[in-house]
Amino acid sequence: MKKTFALFFLVLVSSVPFWSCEKDDLCAEGTPTTPSMVVEFFMDDNTSQNNPISNLKYFVEGMTDTIKITSSVSEIRVPLRVDATSVKWGFISSFTPTGATQPIVNTDYLEFKYTTQQTYISRACGFKTTFTLNEGTDTDANPVFTDEPGGTPWILDTSIERNNIEDENEAHINIYF
Amino acid sequence: MKHTSIYIFKILLLMVSFSAFAQEQAADTTTVAPKTYRYGIRVGADLHRLTRSLYDDNYKGFEIVGDYRLTKKIYVAGELGNDNMTVDDDRLNFTAKGSYFKVGFDYNAYENWLDMENMIFVGVRYGISSFSQTLNSYTVYQNSDIDNTGNYFPDVTVNSGTEFNDLSAHWIELVGGVKAELFDNLFLSFSVRLKNLISNKKPEGFDNLYIPGFDRTYAGNFGAGFNYSISYFIPLYKTQAKKAEEQAK
Repeated sequence: MKKTFALFFLVLVSSVPFWSCEKDDLCAEGTPTTPSMVVEFFMDDNTSQNNPISNLKYFVEGMTDTIKITSSVSEIRVPLRVDATSVKWGFISSFTPTGATQPIVNTDYLEFKYTTQQTYISRACGFKTTFTLNEGTDTDANPVFTDEPGGTPWILDTSIERNNIEDENEAHINIYF
Repeated sequence: MKHTSIYIFKILLLMVSFSAFAQEQAADTTTVAPKTYRYGIRVGADLHRLTRSLYDDNYKGFEIVGDYRLTKKIYVAGELGNDNMTVDDDRLNFTAKGSYFKVGFDYNAYENWLDMENMIFVGVRYGISSFSQTLNSYTVYQNSDIDNTGNYFPDVTVNSGTEFNDLSAHWIELVGGVKAELFDNLFLSFSVRLKNLISNKKPEGFDNLYIPGFDRTYAGNFGAGFNYSISYFIPLYKTQAKKAEEQAK
Protein backbone atom coordinates (compact mmCIF):
# COMPACT_ATOMS: atom_id res chain seq x y z
CA MET A 1 0.00 0.00 0.00
CA LYS A 2 2.79 2.38 0.89
CA LYS A 3 4.42 1.66 -2.43
CA THR A 4 1.21 2.24 -4.36
CA PHE A 5 0.72 5.56 -2.65
CA ALA A 6 4.29 6.69 -3.29
CA LEU A 7 4.24 5.51 -6.88
CA PHE A 8 1.05 7.38 -7.55
CA PHE A 9 2.59 10.57 -6.22
CA LEU A 10 5.62 10.11 -8.43
CA VAL A 11 3.51 9.69 -11.54
CA LEU A 12 1.42 12.73 -10.72
CA VAL A 13 4.34 14.98 -9.90
CA SER A 14 6.34 13.98 -12.93
CA SER A 15 3.40 14.64 -15.22
CA VAL A 16 3.09 18.28 -14.21
CA PRO A 17 6.07 19.74 -16.13
CA PHE A 18 4.58 18.53 -19.41
CA TRP A 19 2.06 21.28 -19.46
CA SER A 20 3.90 23.75 -17.26
CA CYS A 21 5.85 24.88 -20.32
CA GLU A 22 3.16 25.44 -22.89
CA LYS A 23 5.21 27.07 -25.64
CA ASP A 24 3.24 27.87 -28.68
CA ASP A 25 3.74 26.06 -31.90
CA LEU A 26 5.05 28.08 -34.78
CA CYS A 27 2.83 29.26 -37.58
CA ALA A 28 3.06 26.37 -40.02
CA GLU A 29 4.72 27.01 -43.34
CA GLY A 30 2.17 27.15 -46.14
CA THR A 31 -0.57 28.61 -43.96
CA PRO A 32 -2.31 31.32 -45.99
CA THR A 33 -1.32 34.53 -44.24
CA THR A 34 -1.38 38.12 -45.49
CA PRO A 35 -1.21 37.86 -49.29
CA SER A 36 0.83 40.08 -51.55
CA MET A 37 -0.54 41.56 -54.74
CA VAL A 38 0.46 39.54 -57.79
CA VAL A 39 1.53 41.68 -60.73
CA GLU A 40 1.96 40.20 -64.20
CA PHE A 41 3.78 41.81 -67.12
CA PHE A 42 2.42 41.86 -70.66
CA MET A 43 3.45 43.35 -73.98
CA ASP A 44 1.70 46.59 -74.73
CA ASP A 45 1.23 45.85 -78.42
CA ASN A 46 0.11 42.26 -77.85
CA THR A 47 -1.74 42.27 -74.55
CA SER A 48 -2.11 38.50 -74.36
CA GLN A 49 1.62 37.96 -74.60
CA ASN A 50 3.73 37.91 -71.40
CA ASN A 51 6.59 40.35 -71.44
CA PRO A 52 9.28 39.05 -69.06
CA ILE A 53 11.33 41.72 -67.38
CA SER A 54 14.85 41.41 -66.02
CA ASN A 55 16.75 43.49 -63.46
CA LEU A 56 13.59 44.90 -61.95
CA LYS A 57 13.79 46.77 -58.69
CA TYR A 58 10.90 48.13 -56.72
CA PHE A 59 10.46 50.10 -53.54
CA VAL A 60 7.87 52.04 -51.59
CA GLU A 61 8.27 55.78 -51.85
CA GLY A 62 9.82 56.99 -48.61
CA MET A 63 11.37 53.66 -47.66
CA THR A 64 15.04 52.83 -47.97
CA ASP A 65 14.82 49.13 -48.81
CA THR A 66 14.57 48.09 -52.42
CA ILE A 67 13.44 44.69 -53.64
CA LYS A 68 15.71 43.40 -56.38
CA ILE A 69 14.71 40.73 -58.87
CA THR A 70 17.75 39.75 -60.87
CA SER A 71 16.28 36.95 -62.95
CA SER A 72 13.88 37.44 -65.81
CA VAL A 73 10.31 37.20 -64.57
CA SER A 74 6.86 37.88 -65.96
CA GLU A 75 5.16 37.84 -62.54
CA ILE A 76 6.12 39.48 -59.26
CA ARG A 77 4.69 39.75 -55.75
CA VAL A 78 4.10 43.27 -54.49
CA PRO A 79 3.18 43.55 -50.81
CA LEU A 80 0.68 46.14 -49.60
CA ARG A 81 0.83 47.99 -46.30
CA VAL A 82 -1.49 46.44 -43.74
CA ASP A 83 -1.70 49.70 -41.77
CA ALA A 84 -2.67 51.98 -44.67
CA THR A 85 -5.20 52.19 -47.50
CA SER A 86 -2.77 53.19 -50.20
CA VAL A 87 0.83 52.47 -51.05
CA LYS A 88 2.98 54.07 -53.72
CA TRP A 89 5.45 51.69 -55.30
CA GLY A 90 8.28 52.83 -57.56
CA PHE A 91 9.24 50.31 -60.25
CA ILE A 92 12.77 50.69 -61.59
CA SER A 93 13.38 49.21 -65.00
CA SER A 94 17.00 48.89 -66.17
CA PHE A 95 17.11 48.23 -69.88
CA THR A 96 20.27 48.06 -71.95
CA PRO A 97 19.45 48.71 -75.62
CA THR A 98 21.42 46.71 -78.17
CA GLY A 99 24.75 48.38 -78.87
CA ALA A 100 24.61 50.60 -75.76
CA THR A 101 26.99 50.12 -72.84
CA GLN A 102 25.02 51.89 -70.11
CA PRO A 103 21.53 50.71 -69.12
CA ILE A 104 18.67 53.13 -69.27
CA VAL A 105 17.28 53.36 -65.72
CA ASN A 106 13.67 54.43 -65.60
CA THR A 107 11.48 54.75 -62.49
CA ASP A 108 7.70 54.79 -62.75
CA TYR A 109 5.34 55.03 -59.78
CA LEU A 110 2.05 53.26 -59.23
CA GLU A 111 -0.05 54.14 -56.22
CA PHE A 112 -2.48 51.39 -55.27
CA LYS A 113 -5.61 52.25 -53.31
CA TYR A 114 -7.48 49.64 -51.36
CA THR A 115 -9.42 48.73 -48.24
CA THR A 116 -8.25 46.19 -45.66
CA GLN A 117 -9.92 43.37 -43.73
CA GLN A 118 -8.45 41.55 -40.74
CA THR A 119 -9.10 37.83 -40.47
CA TYR A 120 -8.22 35.52 -37.61
CA ILE A 121 -6.11 32.49 -38.62
CA SER A 122 -4.93 30.64 -35.51
CA ARG A 123 -3.15 31.04 -32.19
CA ALA A 124 0.30 30.72 -33.75
CA CYS A 125 -0.36 32.75 -36.90
CA GLY A 126 -2.63 35.35 -35.35
CA PHE A 127 -4.40 37.60 -37.80
CA LYS A 128 -3.90 38.23 -41.50
CA THR A 129 -4.90 41.18 -43.61
CA THR A 130 -6.66 40.80 -46.92
CA PHE A 131 -7.22 43.65 -49.35
CA THR A 132 -9.79 44.88 -51.82
CA LEU A 133 -8.50 47.13 -54.56
CA ASN A 134 -10.67 50.18 -55.22
CA GLU A 135 -12.41 50.14 -58.56
CA GLY A 136 -10.66 52.71 -60.76
CA THR A 137 -12.80 55.40 -62.38
CA ASP A 138 -12.04 58.17 -64.88
CA THR A 139 -11.80 60.76 -62.12
CA ASP A 140 -10.27 58.47 -59.48
CA ALA A 141 -7.88 56.14 -61.19
CA ASN A 142 -6.47 53.03 -59.50
CA PRO A 143 -3.59 52.50 -59.64
CA VAL A 144 -2.46 56.09 -60.01
CA PHE A 145 0.43 56.39 -62.42
CA THR A 146 3.14 59.02 -61.95
CA ASP A 147 6.50 59.39 -63.61
CA GLU A 148 9.65 60.98 -62.27
CA PRO A 149 9.86 64.65 -63.26
CA GLY A 150 10.93 64.92 -66.87
CA GLY A 151 11.02 61.16 -67.34
CA THR A 152 9.63 58.97 -70.04
CA PRO A 153 7.19 56.32 -68.83
CA TRP A 154 8.11 52.67 -69.37
CA ILE A 155 4.79 51.44 -67.98
CA LEU A 156 2.29 52.16 -70.74
CA ASP A 157 -0.90 50.77 -69.22
CA THR A 158 -2.27 48.87 -66.22
CA SER A 159 -5.41 46.92 -65.50
CA ILE A 160 -7.01 45.42 -62.41
CA GLU A 161 -7.68 41.73 -63.00
CA ARG A 162 -8.90 40.74 -59.55
CA ASN A 163 -10.01 43.25 -56.94
CA ASN A 164 -9.93 40.90 -53.98
CA ILE A 165 -6.45 40.13 -52.78
CA GLU A 166 -7.01 37.03 -50.69
CA ASP A 167 -4.55 34.64 -52.32
CA GLU A 168 -1.53 34.71 -54.58
CA ASN A 169 -2.74 32.20 -57.14
CA GLU A 170 -3.32 34.52 -60.08
CA ALA A 171 -2.47 38.07 -61.10
CA HIS A 172 -4.40 40.92 -59.51
CA ILE A 173 -2.78 43.61 -61.64
CA ASN A 174 -1.46 43.52 -65.19
CA ILE A 175 1.25 45.91 -66.31
CA TYR A 176 1.68 46.53 -70.03
CA PHE A 177 4.92 47.84 -71.46
CA MET B 1 7.74 32.21 -10.61
CA LYS B 2 6.44 28.99 -11.99
CA HIS B 3 9.45 27.25 -10.45
CA THR B 4 8.71 28.72 -7.06
CA SER B 5 5.17 27.43 -7.16
CA ILE B 6 6.34 23.97 -8.20
CA TYR B 7 8.88 24.05 -5.38
CA ILE B 8 6.28 24.99 -2.79
CA PHE B 9 4.09 22.32 -4.20
CA LYS B 10 6.78 19.66 -3.84
CA ILE B 11 7.19 20.56 -0.18
CA LEU B 12 3.47 20.12 0.27
CA LEU B 13 3.68 16.78 -1.43
CA LEU B 14 6.43 15.71 0.94
CA MET B 15 4.14 16.50 3.82
CA VAL B 16 1.47 14.37 2.23
CA SER B 17 3.90 11.49 1.82
CA PHE B 18 4.88 11.66 5.48
CA SER B 19 1.31 11.38 6.54
CA ALA B 20 1.04 8.33 4.32
CA PHE B 21 4.00 6.74 6.09
CA ALA B 22 2.62 7.66 9.45
CA GLN B 23 -0.45 5.73 8.48
CA GLU B 24 1.56 2.56 7.95
CA GLN B 25 3.19 2.81 11.37
CA ALA B 26 -0.15 3.29 13.00
CA ALA B 27 -1.21 -0.01 11.53
CA ASP B 28 1.68 -1.84 13.19
CA THR B 29 0.93 -0.66 16.68
CA THR B 30 -2.85 -0.81 16.85
CA THR B 31 -4.91 -3.88 17.50
CA VAL B 32 -7.86 -4.68 15.26
CA ALA B 33 -10.92 -2.62 16.07
CA PRO B 34 -14.13 -2.17 14.11
CA LYS B 35 -13.57 0.21 11.25
CA THR B 36 -15.56 3.45 11.28
CA TYR B 37 -16.53 5.38 8.22
CA ARG B 38 -17.23 9.04 8.60
CA TYR B 39 -19.60 10.74 6.19
CA GLY B 40 -19.77 14.44 5.55
CA ILE B 41 -18.95 17.39 3.40
CA ARG B 42 -15.46 18.47 2.46
CA VAL B 43 -14.97 22.07 1.28
CA GLY B 44 -11.81 23.85 0.28
CA ALA B 45 -9.97 25.99 -2.19
CA ASP B 46 -7.54 25.45 -4.99
CA LEU B 47 -4.10 26.56 -3.81
CA HIS B 48 -2.57 26.87 -7.24
CA ARG B 49 -5.10 29.44 -8.39
CA LEU B 50 -4.87 31.39 -5.15
CA THR B 51 -1.09 31.61 -5.18
CA ARG B 52 -0.98 32.34 -8.88
CA SER B 53 -3.31 35.30 -8.31
CA LEU B 54 -0.63 36.69 -6.00
CA TYR B 55 2.44 36.30 -8.16
CA ASP B 56 1.09 36.43 -11.72
CA ASP B 57 -0.11 39.86 -12.85
CA ASN B 58 -1.89 38.25 -15.76
CA TYR B 59 -4.06 36.00 -13.63
CA LYS B 60 -6.77 36.57 -11.07
CA GLY B 61 -8.95 33.72 -10.01
CA PHE B 62 -10.08 31.23 -7.44
CA GLU B 63 -11.70 27.86 -7.24
CA ILE B 64 -13.82 26.41 -4.46
CA VAL B 65 -13.76 22.63 -4.27
CA GLY B 66 -16.10 20.35 -2.45
CA ASP B 67 -17.27 16.79 -2.14
CA TYR B 68 -19.85 14.79 -0.28
CA ARG B 69 -19.38 11.15 0.66
CA LEU B 70 -22.23 9.16 -0.78
CA THR B 71 -21.12 5.61 -0.07
CA LYS B 72 -17.99 3.99 1.30
CA LYS B 73 -16.11 4.63 -1.91
CA ILE B 74 -18.12 7.11 -3.94
CA TYR B 75 -18.17 10.85 -3.48
CA VAL B 76 -20.16 13.52 -5.27
CA ALA B 77 -17.58 16.15 -6.14
CA GLY B 78 -17.54 19.55 -7.74
CA GLU B 79 -15.63 22.72 -8.35
CA LEU B 80 -16.83 26.28 -8.69
CA GLY B 81 -14.51 28.98 -9.89
CA ASN B 82 -13.76 32.22 -11.58
CA ASP B 83 -10.85 32.98 -13.91
CA ASN B 84 -9.51 36.21 -15.31
CA MET B 85 -6.55 35.32 -17.48
CA THR B 86 -4.55 37.48 -19.85
CA VAL B 87 -2.50 35.53 -22.36
CA ASP B 88 0.40 37.28 -24.06
CA ASP B 89 1.46 35.24 -27.07
CA ASP B 90 3.81 36.25 -29.86
CA ARG B 91 1.02 37.45 -32.10
CA LEU B 92 -1.94 37.79 -29.78
CA ASN B 93 -2.73 39.36 -26.44
CA PHE B 94 -6.14 38.59 -25.06
CA THR B 95 -8.04 38.33 -21.80
CA ALA B 96 -10.56 35.61 -21.00
CA LYS B 97 -12.75 35.95 -17.95
CA GLY B 98 -15.72 34.12 -16.63
CA SER B 99 -17.10 31.57 -14.22
CA TYR B 100 -17.35 27.84 -14.32
CA PHE B 101 -18.90 24.95 -12.54
CA LYS B 102 -17.93 21.28 -12.56
CA VAL B 103 -19.84 18.43 -11.04
CA GLY B 104 -19.28 14.69 -10.99
CA PHE B 105 -18.09 11.75 -8.94
CA ASP B 106 -14.88 10.53 -7.33
CA TYR B 107 -14.22 6.89 -6.67
CA ASN B 108 -11.77 6.07 -3.91
CA ALA B 109 -9.61 3.14 -4.94
CA TYR B 110 -7.46 3.23 -1.84
CA GLU B 111 -8.13 0.80 0.97
CA ASN B 112 -7.40 2.66 4.19
CA TRP B 113 -6.10 1.16 7.40
CA LEU B 114 -8.37 1.62 10.37
CA ASP B 115 -10.15 4.94 10.31
CA MET B 116 -7.68 6.70 8.01
CA GLU B 117 -9.33 8.61 5.24
CA ASN B 118 -6.71 9.06 2.55
CA MET B 119 -7.74 8.68 -1.04
CA ILE B 120 -6.32 7.62 -4.34
CA PHE B 121 -9.19 8.40 -6.57
CA VAL B 122 -10.42 8.51 -10.10
CA GLY B 123 -13.37 10.56 -11.15
CA VAL B 124 -15.35 12.27 -13.82
CA ARG B 125 -16.68 15.78 -14.10
CA TYR B 126 -19.04 17.63 -16.35
CA GLY B 127 -17.89 21.21 -16.74
CA ILE B 128 -19.75 24.31 -17.84
CA SER B 129 -18.13 27.68 -18.40
CA SER B 130 -19.65 31.02 -19.23
CA PHE B 131 -17.16 33.68 -20.20
CA SER B 132 -16.11 36.60 -22.36
CA GLN B 133 -12.94 37.41 -24.22
CA THR B 134 -11.24 40.67 -25.03
CA LEU B 135 -8.76 40.79 -27.86
CA ASN B 136 -6.35 43.37 -26.50
CA SER B 137 -3.90 43.51 -29.38
CA TYR B 138 -2.52 41.50 -32.24
CA THR B 139 0.41 41.63 -34.59
CA VAL B 140 -0.60 41.02 -38.19
CA TYR B 141 1.12 38.04 -39.74
CA GLN B 142 2.70 39.68 -42.76
CA ASN B 143 4.26 37.89 -45.61
CA SER B 144 6.05 40.75 -47.32
CA ASP B 145 9.39 39.00 -47.70
CA ILE B 146 9.83 39.01 -51.46
CA ASP B 147 13.56 38.52 -51.98
CA ASN B 148 14.42 36.53 -48.82
CA THR B 149 15.71 39.53 -46.93
CA GLY B 150 12.96 39.59 -44.34
CA ASN B 151 9.61 41.32 -44.38
CA TYR B 152 9.61 44.52 -46.43
CA PHE B 153 7.23 46.29 -44.09
CA PRO B 154 7.77 46.57 -40.33
CA ASP B 155 5.51 44.63 -37.96
CA VAL B 156 2.14 46.20 -37.34
CA THR B 157 0.52 45.71 -33.95
CA VAL B 158 -3.14 46.62 -33.79
CA ASN B 159 -4.65 47.63 -30.45
CA SER B 160 -7.98 46.05 -31.00
CA GLY B 161 -9.91 45.99 -27.73
CA THR B 162 -12.71 44.01 -29.37
CA GLU B 163 -14.91 42.22 -26.84
CA PHE B 164 -16.54 38.89 -27.47
CA ASN B 165 -19.37 38.24 -25.06
CA ASP B 166 -21.78 35.41 -24.30
CA LEU B 167 -19.30 32.62 -24.92
CA SER B 168 -19.75 29.21 -23.38
CA ALA B 169 -18.24 25.75 -23.34
CA HIS B 170 -19.14 22.33 -22.01
CA TRP B 171 -16.70 19.56 -21.41
CA ILE B 172 -16.00 16.22 -19.72
CA GLU B 173 -13.04 15.70 -17.40
CA LEU B 174 -11.32 12.54 -16.29
CA VAL B 175 -9.74 13.04 -12.90
CA GLY B 176 -7.02 11.11 -11.14
CA GLY B 177 -5.60 12.18 -7.84
CA VAL B 178 -4.70 11.76 -4.22
CA LYS B 179 -6.08 13.20 -1.01
CA ALA B 180 -4.23 12.96 2.25
CA GLU B 181 -5.29 14.01 5.71
CA LEU B 182 -2.58 16.33 7.00
CA PHE B 183 -4.15 17.11 10.34
CA ASP B 184 -7.51 16.34 11.83
CA ASN B 185 -10.07 16.87 9.08
CA LEU B 186 -7.66 18.92 6.98
CA PHE B 187 -6.94 17.41 3.59
CA LEU B 188 -4.42 18.20 0.92
CA SER B 189 -5.38 17.06 -2.53
CA PHE B 190 -3.66 16.85 -5.84
CA SER B 191 -5.28 15.80 -9.07
CA VAL B 192 -4.58 15.79 -12.78
CA ARG B 193 -7.33 16.24 -15.29
CA LEU B 194 -7.76 15.28 -18.91
CA LYS B 195 -10.50 17.20 -20.62
CA ASN B 196 -12.51 16.91 -23.77
CA LEU B 197 -14.74 19.65 -25.10
CA ILE B 198 -18.29 18.67 -25.98
CA SER B 199 -19.48 22.06 -27.12
CA ASN B 200 -17.62 25.29 -27.61
CA LYS B 201 -19.40 28.46 -28.64
CA LYS B 202 -16.71 30.39 -30.47
CA PRO B 203 -16.84 34.08 -31.24
CA GLU B 204 -17.25 35.40 -34.76
CA GLY B 205 -13.81 36.30 -36.10
CA PHE B 206 -11.80 34.91 -33.20
CA ASP B 207 -11.38 31.69 -31.24
CA ASN B 208 -11.71 30.48 -27.66
CA LEU B 209 -8.03 30.13 -26.87
CA TYR B 210 -8.53 30.02 -23.12
CA ILE B 211 -11.69 28.87 -21.40
CA PRO B 212 -12.12 29.55 -17.67
CA GLY B 213 -12.14 26.17 -15.95
CA PHE B 214 -10.97 24.34 -19.02
CA ASP B 215 -7.71 26.32 -19.43
CA ARG B 216 -5.81 26.49 -22.66
CA THR B 217 -7.41 25.03 -25.74
CA TYR B 218 -5.55 23.16 -28.44
CA ALA B 219 -6.33 22.54 -32.10
CA GLY B 220 -8.77 19.74 -31.25
CA ASN B 221 -11.07 19.28 -28.27
CA PHE B 222 -8.35 18.12 -25.89
CA GLY B 223 -7.32 19.90 -22.73
CA ALA B 224 -5.40 19.21 -19.54
CA GLY B 225 -5.00 20.68 -16.14
CA PHE B 226 -4.27 20.05 -12.51
CA ASN B 227 -5.48 21.08 -9.08
CA TYR B 228 -3.91 21.16 -5.73
CA SER B 229 -6.29 22.11 -3.10
CA ILE B 230 -6.64 22.19 0.63
CA SER B 231 -9.98 21.33 2.14
CA TYR B 232 -11.69 20.83 5.47
CA PHE B 233 -13.91 17.89 6.30
CA ILE B 234 -17.13 18.54 8.16
CA PRO B 235 -18.32 15.20 9.57
CA LEU B 236 -22.07 14.61 9.57
CA TYR B 237 -22.50 10.98 10.65
CA LYS B 238 -20.60 7.72 11.11
CA THR B 239 -21.10 4.09 10.22
CA GLN B 240 -19.22 1.06 11.49
CA ALA B 241 -18.05 -1.76 9.32
CA LYS B 242 -19.60 -5.12 10.12
CA LYS B 243 -17.39 -7.78 11.71
CA ALA B 244 -17.85 -10.11 8.75
CA GLU B 245 -16.71 -7.52 6.34
CA GLU B 246 -13.60 -6.95 8.44
CA GLN B 247 -12.71 -10.62 8.41
CA ALA B 248 -13.26 -11.03 4.72
CA LYS B 249 -10.25 -8.83 4.03
